[in-house]
Amino acid sequence: MKFYFFFALVQFAFAQSPDLSGFWELRFDSRNVPAASLTTDAAKMATEQREHDAHAIRWCYDLGVPFLMGLSPIDVIQNTSGKEIAITFPYRGPSRHIYADGRKHVNPDVFDPSSSGDSIGHWEGQTLVVDTVGFSEEGVIGIPGGGRRASTSHLVERYRLVKGGQQLSITFTWDDAKIFTQPHTYEFRYYRAPKGTEAREYDCNASDEERTKFLTGPPGQ
Amino acid sequence: MKRTILLMAAAFAALGQNSKIPDLSGYWERHDDVGGGSFGGIFDKIIPKAELKPEVIEQNRQIAARQAAGDVVAFGSKWCLTSSYPFFMQHSAAWSIAQNENEIVQVHEVHAFPRHIYLDGRGHPPAALLNPSTNGHSIGHWEGDTLVVDSLGFISGGTPGGGKIGPGTHLTERFRLIEGGKKLSVMFTWTDPAFYLKPHSYELQYYRSEPGTYAFEEYCHADDAKQSGSVVPPPQK
Repeated sequence: MKFYFFFALVQFAFAQSPDLSGFWELRFDSRNVPAASLTTDAAKMATEQREHDAHAIRWCYDLGVPFLMGLSPIDVIQNTSGKEIAITFPYRGPSRHIYADGRKHVNPDVFDPSSSGDSIGHWEGQTLVVDTVGFSEEGVIGIPGGGRRASTSHLVERYRLVKGGQQLSITFTWDDAKIFTQPHTYEFRYYRAPKGTEAREYDCNASDEERTKFLTGPPGQ
Repeated sequence: MKRTILLMAAAFAALGQNSKIPDLSGYWERHDDVGGGSFGGIFDKIIPKAELKPEVIEQNRQIAARQAAGDVVAFGSKWCLTSSYPFFMQHSAAWSIAQNENEIVQVHEVHAFPRHIYLDGRGHPPAALLNPSTNGHSIGHWEGDTLVVDSLGFISGGTPGGGKIGPGTHLTERFRLIEGGKKLSVMFTWTDPAFYLKPHSYELQYYRSEPGTYAFEEYCHADDAKQSGSVVPPPQK
């Protein structure tokens, strides 16, 4: 009897953090994205932001967050050590590193802003809470629902398994007084990919003339 | 009381079965232990030349001649094309391993795809279904404290020591912690009858990065005129 009690106790201690690992897919009904409430200045910059993002895609720049989180499938690898969660994408370039080893954000005087920012995470019960700052203007800066990321942006994500672990819910909340009149929150629900799913390589070749013509010329040519 | 402690120990042991698997996770980086003077220079000192077929040697000679004549900017560098495996393993930047029981992922800072090594018992896809890729298709298993990784399905590329990589290339790697986990040894063995007279094997060792190490992002902008230039001015004619 004692054995079962202690076994249950130990198992409980080890089972505090759900395992988010695996491939996750976005489907047609995966996105709940309300319109963002933008500042007047941010609303005026919508065209500029679209051109910026089109340029990044045409030239195969690093794409960054949040655009990468909209690709499918994503692969979440939760280190057995518990110290880091990596997220990879079917696009070349930087993956996401979410450090869960208790570290703080890198000193902004030292950190080189990046397209995915500096992410640290901690568990609140069954939810992984990820805090990201240190964004650059590299890559696709547009945010679902409107607005853009900037060096002043702050992102909080909440990851939790739903539907018995068959779906991964991520709630994104962007905060940036220069962009939003109030925090902008939206949610993606990823479906667990079938067993045996493999990573894909969606390559990008800026020297491909046909691709360039398609992306920059009039449609249908 | 004594019995209770024993029971607790048994419970921890039952949950800790996977603790026998070495934890390779974290950041790894190359150092110059041999006085190579540069990360490329290290290869000349520690990596044997691949024993290549005569026609491959001739192709390499032609490439070297073009570079000696001033063609020092590769098309791939100019256009920021995707680097293929094992480029990042040779790069000066640190790279990291994320690991759980079903998968290991190697993540890096260069323009390449993350590398996925599946440990869940799957095999390689049948040849007809295998999509060639820059990293190839990799499956791994543990042999004691050594992770053995088997890869095929590459597109193209090169190895240190002058080796080449093509659609028929097969790679076996053995990852092993050494020096109490402070270093990681990776033994590479490349085989391909199209290029090699005998398997091309070499070892690279990596140092565990300091705690708190974090990832950088390496940008490459093909529309930047400077990207088309060269860090080594070509000879003036």
